[in-house]
Amino acid sequence: MGAPVHGLSAKAQTSLEEVKRNTKRHRRHLLGNSISRYYFLFSILALCLVLGLVIVFIGKTALLLFTRISPQDFFFSFNWTPEEDAFGAAAFIVNTLSLTALTLVIAVPVSVGMAVLCAEIAPKWLKSFIRPVLDLLVGIPSIVYGYLGLTVLLPFLRRISGEGLGDGLLAAALVLALMVLPTICRISDDAIVAVPRKYRDAAYALGSTRLQVIMRVVLPAASRGIISAVILGMTRAVGETMAVVMVIGNTPQLAKSLFAPTSVLTSNIVMQISNVEFDSTWNYSLHMMAFLLLLISFVLILIIRLLGRKRRDA
Amino acid sequence: MKLFKKFTVTALTAVIAVTASFAGVAAAADSLKGKITVNGSTALLPLTLQAAKEFQKLHPKVKIAASGKGSVTGPQAVKKGIADIGACDWDASIDVPGFKAFDGQVANKVAVIPFATIVNKNVGVDNLTTEQLKGIYAGKITNWKEVGGADANIVVITRAFGSGTRVNYQAKALGGGDIVKKEKNYKETGSSGDMKTAVGTTPNAIGYIDLVYVTGGDIKAVKFNGVEANTDNVINGSYKIWAYGYYMTKGQPTGATKEFIEYVQSKKFQQGSLKKLKFIPISAMQS
Repeated sequence: MGAPVHGLSAKAQTSLEEVKRNTKRHRRHLLGNSISRYYFLFSILALCLVLGLVIVFIGKTALLLFTRISPQDFFFSFNWTPEEDAFGAAAFIVNTLSLTALTLVIAVPVSVGMAVLCAEIAPKWLKSFIRPVLDLLVGIPSIVYGYLGLTVLLPFLRRISGEGLGDGLLAAALVLALMVLPTICRISDDAIVAVPRKYRDAAYALGSTRLQVIMRVVLPAASRGIISAVILGMTRAVGETMAVVMVIGNTPQLAKSLFAPTSVLTSNIVMQISNVEFDSTWNYSLHMMAFLLLLISFVLILIIRLLGRKRRDA
Repeated sequence: MKLFKKFTVTALTAVIAVTASFAGVAAAADSLKGKITVNGSTALLPLTLQAAKEFQKLHPKVKIAASGKGSVTGPQAVKKGIADIGACDWDASIDVPGFKAFDGQVANKVAVIPFATIVNKNVGVDNLTTEQLKGIYAGKITNWKEVGGADANIVVITRAFGSGTRVNYQAKALGGGDIVKKEKNYKETGSSGDMKTAVGTTPNAIGYIDLVYVTGGDIKAVKFNGVEANTDNVINGSYKIWAYGYYMTKGQPTGATKEFIEYVQSKKFQQGSLKKLKFIPISAMQS
């Protein structure tokens, strides 16, 4: 707006007009800015409201449970027989944790290995093939994975284990591992690609082999990104329902072996919630399980956030 | 102008008459309008959908929305006012094991649903008695050779507690006997479709399902106390595992809901589409 106002009058005229025009445009921009600011503010508030309502609703119904039974009974009893008023969820909690752990044990080495392949080793044509394929895998509905597990994986497991059913933690973990694999792999891939080139060059200059560069330099440098990839995969594994329901057996008991039919928090909720009366202890305890899952994913997301912050500080 | 009006009226009447005769619609049909929501049992869902399609053709101004989940969601939705009709595989206006009666609801019989005990195709047994089934489901009989089959563990597949199929099967086939809860070879499935897949793909498995689902080569229905599971035996009274399907309503049904239920109960629907869907007309059991 520092247009000159002195000099020839004609010139001054035009510059004055220019200033006016600029002011007009400036005002218009300001208006646009404030409108979009309110729009974004409104959007974020609406989102917060909905999220808050979900948490409040589930939490409220869930906490009603403890007016009927004690927290010890719910969290530490292994006896889930709702028909006879026994609401012990410990078996589901332990099973959920062990299923998630088993899934990660299977999925992480494979997916990180694939990420290394994608980012460091594979030629360009292979990369441009693997990456879209992995992205596609994310788009397959989980029930399809579950159905394949039921009709293809279970008969196979039955044959190699000699069990009658084959349902259980191992079957569920294998299906889940396939489902979280693309997530973990693609995010680790990005983390590895983001490692600066100079690190590798320096390592090679010191005479490292390719394997040494990958294991000693690239992976440690990308470790935070890989960890957040693993946690993201974990949140998916913890909350996944439809695929698990079809291969886990849905028997409310603690999994003593990999092939014992068992049940986790998600599968138990989906199997029973539609057959339960609205205002019953049973319904409240299912809500409590849902609330627990919410808390677990909340904690996992917090961990990702903290990791992200540390990375930025470093 | 008058002439034009007259002409319009005649033309309209002609059009309506022609449309009506083409669609086979009675002239009074159009006066009925409203919205009917049906919720509840998946077993009755095919019947409801077929009936809704036919009913909407007769009464184009009536909208029918139908969905299926568990049986007990039917009367619950009616209680909460979410649905006008709650489809349920048992009479929810009286107590059944596990579920208290829903007060103030009226049970309208709409169909007879036969159930069948099914086994995987590799199982050699083709007849089971009430006692044998009770033993199998209570976890006392665990090997097929105890009931005349090969030496192999029995894999018990059942529906989740609260499923209408399970309520009826337990009452009619197991004589109210228990179903084992925690065993190695015991599995729960969430729907009739899952049940069929699970029994079909698991060797030595036993389960139970609506008779209409018994198709394909992976599963076979076994005889119950020596009687084959088919509609004829249900009708002549020798096959005992069957139950009425109900439409639960809050009080006596009125308006469009009443018309719809009456349509489902009408001879035309019962003897026609309902039979084609392999349900059994209620009139067959009320002789």
